[in-house]
Amino acid sequence: MNSMKKKMKGRGPIMIDDIHPITENSNYDLYFGPAHPGSGNFGVKLKIDGEIVLSARADPGYLHRGFEKLMEYRVPIQNSVLSDRLCVLEPLNWNLVHAEAVDELMGIDVPERAKYIRVIMAELSRIQSHIIWYGVFSKGTGFDTGFKMAFGYRDYILDLFEMITGGRVYPAGYICPGGVRRDFPNDAEDKILKVLKKMNKMVKLEEIENPALNARAKDVGILKREDAIRLGATGPVLRASGMKTDVRKDEPYEVYDRFDFDIPVKKTGDAYARYNLGIEEIKQSINIIKQALKEIPEGEVIFEKFKKPKLNIKIPEGEVYVRNEVARGEAAIYMVSNGDSKPYRAKVRGPDFLHMIPVLEFLLRGSQIADVPAIYWSLNICPADMDR
Amino acid sequence: MVKRSKKAKTMRKLIKSIWIFNWFNSCGFAELVPVVGSRWDMERFGMIIVGTPRHADVLFIAGYQTIKSIKKAQRIYEQMAEPRVVIALGSCTMTGGMYWDSYNTIKRLDDYLPVNIYIPGCPPRPEAVFEACDKIFKHVKELE
Amino acid sequence: MDADVNKEKEVIEKINSKFKLKGDIQRKQRVWINIKKDKLLEISDWLKKESFIHLSSISVTDWLKDGVFEITYHLWSYKYKILITLKTKIDRDKPVIDSVVSIWDNNAQIHERELHELFGVNFTGNKDLESLFLDDWKGSPPFKKDFNWREYVKDEFYEKENERERPYYD
Repeated sequence: MNSMKKKMKGRGPIMIDDIHPITENSNYDLYFGPAHPGSGNFGVKLKIDGEIVLSARADPGYLHRGFEKLMEYRVPIQNSVLSDRLCVLEPLNWNLVHAEAVDELMGIDVPERAKYIRVIMAELSRIQSHIIWYGVFSKGTGFDTGFKMAFGYRDYILDLFEMITGGRVYPAGYICPGGVRRDFPNDAEDKILKVLKKMNKMVKLEEIENPALNARAKDVGILKREDAIRLGATGPVLRASGMKTDVRKDEPYEVYDRFDFDIPVKKTGDAYARYNLGIEEIKQSINIIKQALKEIPEGEVIFEKFKKPKLNIKIPEGEVYVRNEVARGEAAIYMVSNGDSKPYRAKVRGPDFLHMIPVLEFLLRGSQIADVPAIYWSLNICPADMDR
Repeated sequence: MVKRSKKAKTMRKLIKSIWIFNWFNSCGFAELVPVVGSRWDMERFGMIIVGTPRHADVLFIAGYQTIKSIKKAQRIYEQMAEPRVVIALGSCTMTGGMYWDSYNTIKRLDDYLPVNIYIPGCPPRPEAVFEACDKIFKHVKELE
Repeated sequence: MDADVNKEKEVIEKINSKFKLKGDIQRKQRVWINIKKDKLLEISDWLKKESFIHLSSISVTDWLKDGVFEITYHLWSYKYKILITLKTKIDRDKPVIDSVVSIWDNNAQIHERELHELFGVNFTGNKDLESLFLDDWKGSPPFKKDFNWREYVKDEFYEKENERERPYYD
């Protein structure tokens, strides 16, 4: 070892300033688009100088279907089937937002058992979405074992969904206005507890630190608290920058005020903090489901009038703004009705519309090309939610 | 010795393993990624995901396409080398599906790309994807 | 119900004493206020200093019979935990209104860019109103109430000769 050091004594490491560029002008444009293996259904136009990104401009619209106007042509029971497709990675949470909006406009009292079932299904969907976040972030930064492990464990939850609602990915409007469509099967509660034990095992595996991933994620894409609020970030992205806020605690909906759970917060705001926050939120969700399964009462699961729904039930006149916490942040629906059986205007506010355009453009400025996938996937994006 | 056309001979070479280009649309993402994952492992059949269309044999169109994204899918199809196969997943590629009255989605994929196999479902299960790949192998074996 | 809405009443009192506007309490944590469009910047500036720092969304409703567009701004305060909605009305044939980018920055800018493309509303003061989702769209703004989607889709995408699509033409 000592002889090797002597030979290299005259030459230190080569710094990047010592390398002379071949051409004078090293500016170019790069389109990090949907066909790139490291990106989703979303394009970003980058202006690059050498290795540093000078500016970024988002190019959305690959998945735009015009959701808000599609909802104006359909009655609420048809809209509840359409609302799972707002974001394909967390369908039950969006089902819940739409059902709450129609419940509040019509003034319905949802039965107690239905509220507990809604909370259990929403939390299972949140766990499943955070598993996808972990898997896809690992793939984007080169840790392939994490990707395969995450999608292996996710299938236990999809089997539960199939047993309870009938569909692996899309539950066909299970959470509908008035309650839920059908009750749990007889052995559902035991199976849910077994799956939660497996989830505990998975969280222990996810907490093992991988040095390559840490080197790519620490101090990369730092988002400070004032910038996060100014640019409209919500949910885990805001909590990883040091702000302790959660819609489930600020304005509790359904029965969240009866459970005892914590809100994890990190202070550094880089990609490593966001990625670890997802793992801690899974633990809190497991906690909530266990408490809900102990306290769940017997009874009806749907409001009496909606057991055999007619297609043209009139919605009373009025307007309502409902906020929920989906896995990616704050989701809201603003619904206006003028007395007809179809909503007059349904505006959908998703968390990813703000994360993928203002926040991403702000974070990519001044970073290196090699860090672009780590920043991009650490924001937990879902392009379907942005384009609607 | 059976006489086969040149196209049939090249297509028979496709039987051994097929390589897929990763054009995962939104709805297909939730059901095609488990096919890659460890429960329904597709590497045991020799199928892998590649990053460039020049290496790929099969293009999966999984889910609805908008006017903006079908233009890119056509460019990708032109860059693939012969022999190539297009598989259409989901009911949105056949009739427009749930978004039949949307102004921005395309209703029949057959008008834009030549499709070899359709897989129904919303979204189709991973077992259906494997059955479709099996049908491709049989279809190719019987080509004249 | 009365004991719960003390904070909402306090906020409404403050707004009434400064701007002479009446607020409406729908339920706890929801307050709705109607304002005139030329007072928008003044009230927004005051509300932001009063801790309403989060702009949840901006939305446009098209009232075809009355001939107005109704624009709503939904603001949330992390300190009081109340949501205030400001509603204004503008003319439907010449929709012009001031932009709130100077107060809520890029958060408001992206919402206004989307509404400009889908409804045709002009926000003065917003420098970047390029099209967001659609490229080469040459028709009228697609989300207005007089643009019938089912007629448009029948003309553009479906054919009379196709067997499967005959029911749409009956």
